Amino acid sequence: MSPIQGLSLAAPPGAVAPAGDAALSGGPTFRDYLLQSINEVNAMQAAADRAVEQLAVGGDVNPAEVLTAVQKADIAFRMMLQVRNKLVQAFEEVQAIRI
Amino acid sequence: MTAGLFQSTTIPVLEQVVCFTQARHNVLAGNIANIDTPGYQARDLAVADFQKRLRGAIEAKHRPAPASPGDPGGAATEPLDVTAQNTPTVMLQDESKVGMEYQVSEMVKNQVQHNLALQIMVHQFRQLQTAIAGRL
Amino acid sequence: MFPSLDISASGLAAQRMRMNAISSNLANISTTHNEKGEPEPYQPRFVIFETDDSIGGNGAAGVRVGRVEIDPVEPLWKYEPNHPDAVKEGPKKGYVAYPNVNMMTEFTDALEAARAYEANLGAMDISKDLLNQTLKILA
Repeated sequence: MSPIQGLSLAAPPGAVAPAGDAALSGGPTFRDYLLQSINEVNAMQAAADRAVEQLAVGGDVNPAEVLTAVQKADIAFRMMLQVRNKLVQAFEEVQAIRI
Repeated sequence: MTAGLFQSTTIPVLEQVVCFTQARHNVLAGNIANIDTPGYQARDLAVADFQKRLRGAIEAKHRPAPASPGDPGGAATEPLDVTAQNTPTVMLQDESKVGMEYQVSEMVKNQVQHNLALQIMVHQFRQLQTAIAGRL
Repeated sequence: MFPSLDISASGLAAQRMRMNAISSNLANISTTHNEKGEPEPYQPRFVIFETDDSIGGNGAAGVRVGRVEIDPVEPLWKYEPNHPDAVKEGPKKGYVAYPNVNMMTEFTDALEAARAYEANLGAMDISKDLLNQTLKILA
């Protein structure tokens, strides 16, 4: 999906000082956190899809649980979208710095 | 580009459910209208049959299509398109399932399922629109 | 998926059958012949409810009518020597057997059946409302 491409563009300027230190010391970088969060959001979406399919096929599933899973996945997705927008904005601001 | 846009969501599955519940509503309404008609036999759409075929179509969708050059994977969509239309009508033989109360309660359950599927589908459409716009 | 609706529907069906039995008793309050036309007083009928575990689940059970019983109560004897159905010989000579249907009891039962029917309808309404409200999770 397009948000993933947008984020990989933004990932290299993880040359924000804390992340830079972490990279030097070999610990998890900002980029790692970001990619991990994307995977988590994707997993939530996939789980919500499974639950909806179970509901459609008449499985033994509670409608309230399915709707809650769908809504949680949606909110996680929106959060990630907003984070991506902010990162792109930050990247553009950095790019606009005239040396 | 647009062909695969909906395949990753649950929209095709929910579309089938909504079509099925719509058709079943009509059948049940017919039963209730004919409650005093002499010689009328109550009928219903085979729910278990529809669910079994839907389950099979979902599993076929998730199984990765055998790799063949030039095949965009379009074959995987076909099983899902026709599950709702081909559900057979069954005549109700069981005495306890023919009464007015049973028909009305089946109609209510059908309605709840229809609304559930519809709301989730609307939600998915909205989510796609958010993703496409890139703005919340 | 929605056992509460099935359970309420079973309750409605059971109460309606009970109502049928009561109506039959009230309609036949003076019947002295049976279906074949032989002189036999009408015996009141009553229904026996059974818990139906096949409806609902997780401890919640529906109801079904087990069987329709015929009340083996003694008929009312009235002295009418000129009635064609009067007993010809024996200790009850000249008496006619009428059904022993107590109208007050039957009518009270009918009211109770009607209230139970309404209660089941109310429960069904609440179940429907519950399920529709669940949709509000999807803001």
